[in-house]
Amino acid sequence: MQLRPALVYVRTMAVFVAVWWLVSAWTANTVLLPSPRVVFEALVDLARDLELFQHAGISLGRMIVSLVVACALALPLGFAMGLRRGFDEVVDPTLELLRPISGIAWIPLALFIFGVGNALPVFIMTYAAFFPILLGTVAGVRGVDRRLVDAARTMGVPRRTIVMRVVLPSALPALLVALRLGVASSWTAVIAAELIGAPSGLGYAVEWYRELLMTPQVMSFIAMIGVLGYACDRTVRAVAQRFTPWAADEWAR
Amino acid sequence: MSDGTGRIARGLALPVALLVVWQAWGVASASPRTPVPTHIVRAAIDLIGSGDLPLAIAQSLGRVFAGFAVAAVIAIPLGLAMGASRAVERNVDPVVESFRPIAAIAILPLAILWLGTGTPAAVLIVAYAAFFPIVVNTVAGAKRISPTLLRAAATMGLSRFATMRTVIVPGALPAIGVGLRIGMGVAWTAIVAAELAVGAKAGGGGSGGIGAMMFIFYAYSIELNRIVVCMIAVGLVALVLDRGLRAMMRRLMPWSAP
Repeated sequence: MQLRPALVYVRTMAVFVAVWWLVSAWTANTVLLPSPRVVFEALVDLARDLELFQHAGISLGRMIVSLVVACALALPLGFAMGLRRGFDEVVDPTLELLRPISGIAWIPLALFIFGVGNALPVFIMTYAAFFPILLGTVAGVRGVDRRLVDAARTMGVPRRTIVMRVVLPSALPALLVALRLGVASSWTAVIAAELIGAPSGLGYAVEWYRELLMTPQVMSFIAMIGVLGYACDRTVRAVAQRFTPWAADEWAR
Repeated sequence: MSDGTGRIARGLALPVALLVVWQAWGVASASPRTPVPTHIVRAAIDLIGSGDLPLAIAQSLGRVFAGFAVAAVIAIPLGLAMGASRAVERNVDPVVESFRPIAAIAILPLAILWLGTGTPAAVLIVAYAAFFPIVVNTVAGAKRISPTLLRAAATMGLSRFATMRTVIVPGALPAIGVGLRIGMGVAWTAIVAAELAVGAKAGGGGSGGIGAMMFIFYAYSIELNRIVVCMIAVGLVALVLDRGLRAMMRRLMPWSAP
């Protein structure tokens, strides 16, 4: 019984590849739609040259840097907003004014400020990851059972300890959901940012090979973007399952 | 404990303070290009008065609605079929899940290759972006229907089609609504990204839309004030789309007010 979903998966993808092969044979144009075999060969070549992994490593590195920055900004702010009503009332309207402006819309202005290079994609991704992480943190902190906090306070536990030992553990599942959304939104943003304003990375590579009309390479890099996006999501989910086993149901799928 | 006006005053304090600091900094830097609030207001009046900004927004919105309609027409029936039938889900899910992690903007180079730099490519990107949230939410909605209702329908001898129409579709509607709302947000982000990228990579081929407009202000007539106006417009449109869909859902499905 364990093997059957894998078999179904293989069968579906085999049908997909067969249809792709038929359509590519019908169009008979390697630039418009190369056959699966040509794309696979291009993928192997790119992997052997390590070009695929170099660009992927650059994009991943940028994502990790910007996630760290986004967390460093959003977590303390989210805790402060969740714990103190007064602070929330002061800060929240400003953030709600900024939030509808997507990270992508910052690209032209950020291009002017940072120029083409590493700083631009990192800025755009940090911005894109910041809001999901912040909102999730605020909601998670607010969702902590009041009685737990009150009980700790009755027992004379200092405020710092309450935050670290009561609020943080019960908000952790929500924080990890927020992190997962942040990862997804920053991964989308990195491709756009690199496509427009970076001299390296997966987004840049896709556009570079399109200009050369080397479609098999374009498709290889697109596949890599998908694989890495999936792997990032899986990693966050695995981390969440490991560190918050009591909330495992939410991560079942 | 605080009355309404006090809360509003506290909420406005920070934005107003930031605007004042921004204006002061801009005046102090004494460069005519530095965007400052007063220049931005003037740029906004110019852009709206000349009709350029409304036209660009209308172009982008047209593409969003076209792509969104394509996505909804494909994703809702597919999602319902996947949610209602285990066999369909098992067979189709691998393809959906394989493509879902690929950001819409990543397939832009392919879209340009196949359809050129005009509206069809933009519509394809939007449709691709909006497809996944809609299909995933529709499947979840169709699956969440109480088995009791399905068994009752089966007991009463309803055909598959009648079950779909009278039990599954109404039950899944709220989740479909959520999917449409998320899909619309993603679609709007995707169109801005697509137009920006086309503007950047197709040598300002004049494909129109607000994203292309922003890129022209960046690359050809360095006007930062106007870029900021476009950014604000992007945010406002996103907000209006989201609120509008929310209000529509509440109107159409009052029982599931989110």
